[in-house]
Amino acid sequence: MIKDLKRVRNIGISAHIDSGKTTLTERVLFYTDRIHKINEVRGKDGTGAVMDSMDLERERGITIASAATYCEWKNHNINIIDTPGHVDFTVEVERSLRVLDGVVLILCSVSGVQSQSITVDQQMKRYEVPCIAFVNKCDRSGANPAKVARQLKDKLGHNSVLMQLPIGLEDRHEGVIDLVAMKAYFFEGEHGERVAVKDIPENMRDQAQEARDEMIDAASLFSEELTDAILEESEISDDMIKKAIRTGVLERHITPVFLGSAYKNKAVQPLLDAVIDYLPSPLDINNEAIDLDNNEECVVLESDFDKPTVALAFKLEDGQYGQLTYLRVYQGSIIKGSTLINSRDGKKIKAGRLIRMHASQMEDVEEIPAGHIGAMFGIDCASGDTFVSPSINYSMLAMHVMEPVISLSIVPKDNKAQINMSKALNRFTKEDPTFKTYVDHETGDTIIQGMGELHLEVYVERMKREYQAEVTTGKPRVAYRETITQKALFNYTHKKQTGGAGQFGRVAGAMEPCEEEFEFVNKITGGRIPTQYIPACEKGFQSCMAKGPKLEFPVTGIRVTIDDGAYHAVDSSEMAFQAAARGAFLEAYGKARPVIKEPIMKVVIETPNEFQGSCMGLINQRRGIIQGSQEEGVMSVIESQVPLSEMFGFSTILRSATQGKAQFTMEFSSYKQVPQSIAEDIIKQKQEEKKA
Amino acid sequence: MLKKDLNLRSPIEKIIGIDNITTSNFGAVLSRAGVGKTRFLVQIALTRLLQDQKIVHVSLDDSMEKINLRYNEGYTNLVDSIGYVDPQKAVRLWDDINLNKVGISYNEASFDTAKIRDYLKSFKKAQLPMPAIMIIDGLDFDEDITDLLEEMKSLNQEFAISIWFAMQSHRDEALGKDGYPVQLEIRQQLFDKAVFLQPVNNKIQAIVLKDGNKTNQKFLLEPATMMLVAENH
Repeated sequence: MIKDLKRVRNIGISAHIDSGKTTLTERVLFYTDRIHKINEVRGKDGTGAVMDSMDLERERGITIASAATYCEWKNHNINIIDTPGHVDFTVEVERSLRVLDGVVLILCSVSGVQSQSITVDQQMKRYEVPCIAFVNKCDRSGANPAKVARQLKDKLGHNSVLMQLPIGLEDRHEGVIDLVAMKAYFFEGEHGERVAVKDIPENMRDQAQEARDEMIDAASLFSEELTDAILEESEISDDMIKKAIRTGVLERHITPVFLGSAYKNKAVQPLLDAVIDYLPSPLDINNEAIDLDNNEECVVLESDFDKPTVALAFKLEDGQYGQLTYLRVYQGSIIKGSTLINSRDGKKIKAGRLIRMHASQMEDVEEIPAGHIGAMFGIDCASGDTFVSPSINYSMLAMHVMEPVISLSIVPKDNKAQINMSKALNRFTKEDPTFKTYVDHETGDTIIQGMGELHLEVYVERMKREYQAEVTTGKPRVAYRETITQKALFNYTHKKQTGGAGQFGRVAGAMEPCEEEFEFVNKITGGRIPTQYIPACEKGFQSCMAKGPKLEFPVTGIRVTIDDGAYHAVDSSEMAFQAAARGAFLEAYGKARPVIKEPIMKVVIETPNEFQGSCMGLINQRRGIIQGSQEEGVMSVIESQVPLSEMFGFSTILRSATQGKAQFTMEFSSYKQVPQSIAEDIIKQKQEEKKA
Repeated sequence: MLKKDLNLRSPIEKIIGIDNITTSNFGAVLSRAGVGKTRFLVQIALTRLLQDQKIVHVSLDDSMEKINLRYNEGYTNLVDSIGYVDPQKAVRLWDDINLNKVGISYNEASFDTAKIRDYLKSFKKAQLPMPAIMIIDGLDFDEDITDLLEEMKSLNQEFAISIWFAMQSHRDEALGKDGYPVQLEIRQQLFDKAVFLQPVNNKIQAIVLKDGNKTNQKFLLEPATMMLVAENH
């Protein structure tokens, strides 16, 4: 591994689905001699791209798990993480951004800024990751890189500036003009591996000059030297421009835009040059940790191999050799055989086998120095754990983890599947903090939760393939409640006096609605019910709350007050008063106008303004109540309250109604009474279930 | 009962008439800046909410939070004007009627009626009762907004929704030849109801500029609450 960190780049390639990330990475690996054959995505040649190592990834033509690889270009070590673009796998992108120094944001030259581009952009903002943009697919019909550069400005608020012009578009796309060097690049050879540098075509010189002037103008904001050169009309060197652009990129105030076609082998090499020229090295990034021994004070980490080690575990994988933990080292060095402490739980670990990753292939290494990414075998930890030398007690900030937005029930096919399903769920939840599972105590269903239907679909499929656990999925049951809406009196006698030991107890009082789950008020006077039996009365009433008499849903919001009763010196007992209380509950409950309540969720949708009306319409169609909507720049935020039962499948519907550009969050708000028509449907459904 | 009491107490009942509000296609509340157009419009909207009808309040100035605050304040002032009201009852009523209010905040530059149209269409699609009234607050009537008003008119006709606007006039501007502020004068054929608010001796005078036989009636309002002080005929 290169130790001169100025010559190291840790980058991610992020974009919307099908923008060409994996194809681009494949080309990068080819041109940097990491692989010797180009394999197309989606198995056009029957093989599948090198980076998509999971079977599912190859089959579906999508990238699911992030894969890490490294390559060398012009004496620089570039570590690349290829990340999924689909919104359901955002946790992978989040993880990668936490540990990378820069990002290449890929945009399709036809579709431009799309839903996941927006999500990725927000993630990049959250972690303050500098980026450059690559407008891919310039060979496609309808390609318009200038429009995409404008969209970067309008939709994402970037200060985007074209660094190249296309020489031809669509099926006439031949090469690019570099506006810094003012040269034309063409890509010759079977796979475009030879870059031919020529003069700019005559008919494009004026256009190129104009575009260059614009670019220099934008860059000058970041360099006094460049500004002076412009004002003095003196010579402007390539280095001057590159230095200015680089400053702007590191400050996240400018996004240089490059273009080409990975599939047609056009302009990938200049993009690699741009990665080196404009994206940060580990030395350019300020990394901080908190000192747990010093009031959690912030400490700046130094990319110094001799300092105590600080490393962040950002991905776990359970493979045939055990758990593989991917790490980014920020300070010091992880040396094989050295001791490290997990600062989360204080456990000591010994750094065993260390490897450098290339998609699914490994290379053993002796150390992972600061500024690099590698992996360790045989460590039991969680994603987000910090590993440090024993002499310090630092922790990196944990990664931002989103709450799941969709859930469904799964039922294993048979006993064997049940056991394997548990193993699978155990592994998946450890690897992926946005994938959760629990057993619903009320319904007995195993529920899985995730970031989208595709997210869960993939795990269900992986359960089947990797663990031979076939499950059927269904809609999760909504946890309804019952309650009462008016006061009702009770006066119930429990009597069994037919010879031998009998039972006797009478309780009288009232039940009424209240804000609490359950309240018991004792107003018995004159010993009408002996004190020792009062707890039994309460217990009897409370036992009826678990399953409502109406529909066997849990009951909530009832206050029971007892103010009268009677007992028998011989036949009264705790059991008798419990029974009396149960009978009293049933007697009053029906008179108290019981109703069904359903969980209401607070749903917040974030959507581009153009879809605001349709999103509000979607809420309306779901018995939702819109509380308001606020325009924030190019996006609108819509707040609403929607019954949980109406939200199933909402992520898919929202995605198709907004071209995938809107997102939503959902959290529990309160329980509310269901409308009469819905209550009738629920009752009918319950009756049918009982018959079955 | 409380709903009915509140509506009877509302200044809108006296000035315009509760049942008269939605007989208009376009209504306007005019004043110069800071006098109380929005608060008056909130009172108009509250009369609908108290009749269990939906309202949409569109603001090009206020955020969603601010819109909600204005309604909370307007409702509180109305409740306080009655005298003693059981606070729990008042809160429960507000929780109920508030569900029918939708506040939408837009940037003035990007405001267009297409979004509102999509939203109103969804009511029809879901076979839900249409909002009774839409408040539009923050439009600049000094600009040429003919096209926008025509689009709003088509919304009014297509969805049978009464639309009330906040219309800002200017202190030193001369009135039009019909005695209206210029902003209304040039468009008066569009509006069938209009109320003008102006500060007079530490109170706010509400003059009915346009409303059939209520035209030229004058009323005094408390500046802090927008509740009626006395009637001047």
